[in-house]
Amino acid sequence: MLVSAALGLLALFFFFPMIWMVLSSFKTNASIFSTPFAPPTSVDFARWSEAWEVGNIGQYAINSTITTLVSVTAILLLGAGAAFAFSRYRFRGRGAFMALFALGLLLPLQSYFIAQSTLFTQLDITDTRLALIIPYTAMGLPLAVYLLKVYLDALPEELFDAARIDGAGDWRVFRELALPLLRPGLATVAIFSALSAWNEFLLALLYIQDDALKTIPTGLLAFSTRYVTDYSLLFAALSIVTIPMIVIYVVFNRQIVEGITAGSVK
Amino acid sequence: MKPTRAISPYLFLAPALAVFGLAVLLPMVLTIGYSFTEWNGFGAMTFVGLDNYATAIGDPTFRDSFIHVVLYIVATLFLEVLVGLGLAGLVHMRPGRLWFRVAIFTPVMLPMVVVAVLWSFVYNPDFGLVNAGLAAVGLEELQRVWLGDTSTALLAVSLVSGWVFAGFYMMIFYAAFRQIPSEAVEAARLDGAGEWALFSRIKVPMIRSVVWVTVLLCVTGGFQGFDLFFVLTNGGPYGATEIPTTYLVKTVFRNGDVGYGSAMAVILTAIVLGVGLVYARIQARGRRVDPA
Amino acid sequence: MKNAKRLVALATVAMLAIAGCGGSSTPENDHVLRIAMGSPGEAQIRVWDDVAKQYMAAHSETKVEINYQQDDLYETIGLQNLLNGKNAPDIYFEWTGARLAQRVKDGFAADITDQFKTGPLAGIWDDAVLGPYTLDGKTRMVPYAADVTNVLWYNKKLLADNGVTPPATWEELLATCDALNAKGIIPIASGNKDLWAAGNWLAHQTSRVVGEDAYATVLGGTGKFSTPEWEKAFGYIKELADHKCVNESANAIDDNAGAQLFFQAKAAMHAIGSWLVSWAIDEAPDLDFDYVNIPPMPDGKGNAGSVIGVATGYVINAKSPKQKEAAEFMALLNSPENVQAFIAAEVTPLAKSASAGAEIDARTTELNKMLNEAPAIVLPPDTGYDLKMADALYQGLAAVLGGQATPAEALAEIDRKLGR
Repeated sequence: MLVSAALGLLALFFFFPMIWMVLSSFKTNASIFSTPFAPPTSVDFARWSEAWEVGNIGQYAINSTITTLVSVTAILLLGAGAAFAFSRYRFRGRGAFMALFALGLLLPLQSYFIAQSTLFTQLDITDTRLALIIPYTAMGLPLAVYLLKVYLDALPEELFDAARIDGAGDWRVFRELALPLLRPGLATVAIFSALSAWNEFLLALLYIQDDALKTIPTGLLAFSTRYVTDYSLLFAALSIVTIPMIVIYVVFNRQIVEGITAGSVK
Repeated sequence: MKPTRAISPYLFLAPALAVFGLAVLLPMVLTIGYSFTEWNGFGAMTFVGLDNYATAIGDPTFRDSFIHVVLYIVATLFLEVLVGLGLAGLVHMRPGRLWFRVAIFTPVMLPMVVVAVLWSFVYNPDFGLVNAGLAAVGLEELQRVWLGDTSTALLAVSLVSGWVFAGFYMMIFYAAFRQIPSEAVEAARLDGAGEWALFSRIKVPMIRSVVWVTVLLCVTGGFQGFDLFFVLTNGGPYGATEIPTTYLVKTVFRNGDVGYGSAMAVILTAIVLGVGLVYARIQARGRRVDPA
Repeated sequence: MKNAKRLVALATVAMLAIAGCGGSSTPENDHVLRIAMGSPGEAQIRVWDDVAKQYMAAHSETKVEINYQQDDLYETIGLQNLLNGKNAPDIYFEWTGARLAQRVKDGFAADITDQFKTGPLAGIWDDAVLGPYTLDGKTRMVPYAADVTNVLWYNKKLLADNGVTPPATWEELLATCDALNAKGIIPIASGNKDLWAAGNWLAHQTSRVVGEDAYATVLGGTGKFSTPEWEKAFGYIKELADHKCVNESANAIDDNAGAQLFFQAKAAMHAIGSWLVSWAIDEAPDLDFDYVNIPPMPDGKGNAGSVIGVATGYVINAKSPKQKEAAEFMALLNSPENVQAFIAAEVTPLAKSASAGAEIDARTTELNKMLNEAPAIVLPPDTGYDLKMADALYQGLAAVLGGQATPAEALAEIDRKLGR
């Protein structure tokens, strides 16, 4: 009983700010300021649609979606390829290259983002989606390669020998044998890297100034600095961005949990 | 497996290596190079040897930023890992309903900017949840300008971090608990062990390796923190929440001092890598290392 | 390992080669007129976009692209990056003062004196207005508007209800703070999270103590901040802190939130610039407010009537091959109709036609008059001088205002940061 009560209280503590956020989005600025705890007098979504339009949230969501989708796809393909090479083949330099990717697991963003930004400026790709897709892919690769390699290592050699005997070349083995067997691993990597890319902020802040290309994090920041005191509008914008994520989590709850479980256990 | 063509492994590896090399490895090397120069990003580059490093070591703001980030990491070890462990223990006792997991895990999924903007309202001195809540229960004298008071700002930011990530660690520990063979737990229960004893003597020790990894995650993640600090306080008040990354970003992207910023970045990297390596060493010595 | 090393070496050489040739060749006229500025707000953006349309309608072979950057970014490295990159702007926003001088020095500011004499820009402005925009006899910038950077705004009703009048002397200011605090009203609202809001106010106040010349000299880079004169000046800031003249949350809330305190009548006064007028009319239409310049300082060496303000305008890039088109665009921007559109968007251009026609708020007119007739003008630290110096100064001012440092400590810290 006590445990359930404790759990309930904790859940309330964690969820309360978000409840407050949504409720406040239905109030007027004056009443948010003077009576923060008072419930809204009416549930009026007017501010929500205003936030959507004025705040350009649709555009930011599109940008986030494109950037994330392309990055995750690249991470999966490139990562699977590299993991396949490391796992199933022995070749000169294998150890060294693996060490490079392992380094990537520990390497903090600070160690390279400065030079990365000057590089991108000189290659003139700042203010393009590529300026985010390339780093997101690169940053997601070490974990992807590591996780996928672990999955591949677990597969018995006989499986591949059998395919070889059947006359399959390297590419076919990869495409028709390894990839399908990697599906759970790919799902895990997809979840991790999608979450990372979707929420990434520092690079998006530094590389994208054009409002039309901003992703949700930087777009929301720009919005919040422009409408700093239109509290109900801001709460509405925050709600619009938050609620879909809650819905996604509830719907895909099992897969997400399994993904994280699998990832962390390995 | 033997490749059908000798070049195959390289072909599989090449795209990933190319992207990773171009976007991470090359800039890392370049950053080291820049740290020995004085440069504003587009003009002339002057070689200055170890000057930037000397300046960095002597820079009180830089030194203080490390103190702040270490304090932050210690706080998050409690607020994220320890709390996560406790929450996992609670949930494991009574497998929670979906709403519980949703409530505690949702913050993990949110972009930090959303969290920061939301909590800057929660901490708002005039109408924010915290101060209004204190007033509602008659504790006005505890009211503060949470993000503006140098004695509370860092703690306030750490608390937000805890709110976000406790759920993440809870998930990891919960999954680890579920892996524990139930016979061990049941046997202890039959012996009359209470829940707390079960937790502290059986469950936690059995997931010791997972705990170690999460501690490493928390520490290295803490050094890289940026989003939350930038949006909530950006180093304020009066530099009380300046951490290495926010200072770095200011130096390079506000003052245009690429060389100096790069030197600080190299120092920070060395520390993070050092921590990681020491960690791996301790872990390797303490237990058998699983071949990767 | 050899392969990896070779790859990295090759790439590094390639990249350094690219890095080496950073300078671009002379740009050709690609018939795209590029304009860059920090974001001036929705209302003004609409006018700019409209003028761009007008220009493109009249000049079908030219396209106009306007880049509205985030304010803070533009002021710090945004503009620099743009000017030194590909597709550098042909027209860009700047503040007069040290920044303009730097642009001239770097070769980014065209000499447009002739454009004002015989070119499309002739006759739009009074010659007197061109003063700040002219260096060494050469006009380098097209005037836009002038801001009074800081005055003391006050809520007429709140002051009257509490038996105080707008402070005319330093002693009155402190007494007003005490009186208002006793009634539970914030005397002066300030949102100083970004340091410039109170920074500009207190820098102005400091210039009244040390004198405009000393202010300009030290901020300009000569001499130390840690001197008895400056310590005396900072001492007055400490008095403000001692009398709790500013809201406790000043360092945690930004300028917008600070203004809100004033709009919500939680604070009786607000220290901010001339742009408050249109904003207040929008946000708090029932607010009856007016302003006073900050009071003279006891034994101050500075001119008691000095005004802190800055003239802004647009520079035509000297490296641009489209200077003629740029001048035509700026002339169009300042046509009588467009000037009226800007006035409706709550900014008062310096063009002559601004005074004719539409209703400008009386307070704005007063502010412009005060600026034009000012016996001395003080430049704000961040736009009139070097940014790094301004940052250090702002931090020092904030530290004393917030009671975090004594005047001596704060000044020593400024000197340490600037290596003086």
